[in-house]
Amino acid sequence: MDGAGGELSPEILDACRRGDRDAFRALYEAYKDRVYSIAFYFFQADADAASEVTQQVFLKLMREIARFRGEAAFSTWLYRLVVNACVDRARGRRAEVVGEDPVALDTIAASPALSHEEMFSRHEVATSVQRAIATLPPKLRAAILLRYFEDLSYSDMANALNCSIGTVASRLSRGHRLLAKKLAPIRVALRSGE
Amino acid sequence: MFTRHVDDSLPRYCDGELSAAERQRVDAHLVSCARCRMALEEIQFSANVVRQLKVISAPPSVWNAIVEAGLETRLARSRAYRLRWAVACGVVLAAAAGVYWSIRDTTPKPWAVARVNDGGTRRMAAGEWVDTRGGSTARIIVGELGTVDVAPRTRVRLGQVSQSEYRLQLDRGTISAEINAPPRLFIVDTPASAVVDLGCAYTVTVGDDGAGELRMTKGWSSLEWKGRESLVPAGAMCRTRPASGPGTPYFEDASAALKRAVDDFDVGRDRSQALDVIVREARVRDTLTLWHLLSRVDASDRARVYERIAEFEPPPAGATRDRILALDADALRRWREELAWKW
Repeated sequence: MDGAGGELSPEILDACRRGDRDAFRALYEAYKDRVYSIAFYFFQADADAASEVTQQVFLKLMREIARFRGEAAFSTWLYRLVVNACVDRARGRRAEVVGEDPVALDTIAASPALSHEEMFSRHEVATSVQRAIATLPPKLRAAILLRYFEDLSYSDMANALNCSIGTVASRLSRGHRLLAKKLAPIRVALRSGE
Repeated sequence: MFTRHVDDSLPRYCDGELSAAERQRVDAHLVSCARCRMALEEIQFSANVVRQLKVISAPPSVWNAIVEAGLETRLARSRAYRLRWAVACGVVLAAAAGVYWSIRDTTPKPWAVARVNDGGTRRMAAGEWVDTRGGSTARIIVGELGTVDVAPRTRVRLGQVSQSEYRLQLDRGTISAEINAPPRLFIVDTPASAVVDLGCAYTVTVGDDGAGELRMTKGWSSLEWKGRESLVPAGAMCRTRPASGPGTPYFEDASAALKRAVDDFDVGRDRSQALDVIVREARVRDTLTLWHLLSRVDASDRARVYERIAEFEPPPAGATRDRILALDADALRRWREELAWKW
């Protein structure tokens, strides 16, 4: 993927279109961790959900790759599959994400001032961040992950999310506001450590 | 001096997506606005938080699950789709299918029919009938393409076999086909439509009056009749009628009201009212139905069908509203390809 070191070679894509098993395995190896990670964070570190989404994305990709005509970057198309799979699954899923985890965050806020590195190495911080991301509405969650986890440009995000660049900016803006609010104790602790 | 707050520009400011002039404007505003500086800090913080997330390795069980879910079958289907879309793009079908098929076998296998009741299998020639009116069942082996199960009280005729086509004629009754072959190689003629396999599994029933219905369980089929075509994906069904050919497909999990309205629309019963119900009841998945209706509704109703689909999925760049309302084939096809992700 773009954010992880470039596009797959045209030869492998062509071989995948022909139904070549080895080429498909190569494609899978190239992208599996990125796909899995997006789904993992989309569903609050739910490994089962991430596995199912990853499986579903690659099965769909395999079925549809003959229709991929290269008008957009392959990774953009793949991101679109991932986002659609995550959003569809989130739609059919009970709202099961818990809130801001006040106990853990209060502990963080009360702890001595920490550097960025120390802060993010703490398990409860990582858990709270994952939880906060998972409480965002699915479309904002997708935008935030594609931009800051996958490092996609606004233009690529617009293609992957099938919306305008203005909509991308608006979703990011709302996502930032919500995330900052949910993670306020961490922000306070970081500021006091600076 | 009063200036407008710049909250909406801040993510792009942070991400380096603003022009030099816009950036200068934001810079100038930030100098004097504590509120926007706070908002900027929030954005920088949350962006930094997400950037700290680590890439997680997908466990080996994911690949194993893909293999178990039918990797080989799907790869074969991918090969079939490749041919299908080549056809759609105007590539010469006969040459492509010929090349594909010649790799596997140059001699088409004849029909073979197994009668389930007595267990025997015999070869049958084109023109012969398989008739289960007595209550028996049978299985037709379609060369190396797959099988067709014939339900009781069914009458089906075996057609000519060639490298480019296996053809059955279903007069009445029910058959269930499971075919793994390049698109358009296996066709079932019914009194009201031809069921053209695009790599799939389905059940088709024809009643005594010649009307029928197609229910897809895997892949895609198209129903074709006198230039009219309905595309039917897995999970959807479509009725056929002797006077009008293929109806409008819909998903079987659509609301009962939508399904009734589609049937009413197809037979011309209170079409305007039926269209109201379809538009109102449609979910994102029901854009399958709405897309087909674009070319079937009166011109005066087309815009509202367009608007409803666009609410779920706007057409891709280049497939403009005007082109779609003018039923431009390329624009319709491109939109359908986008919508099909949801079907």
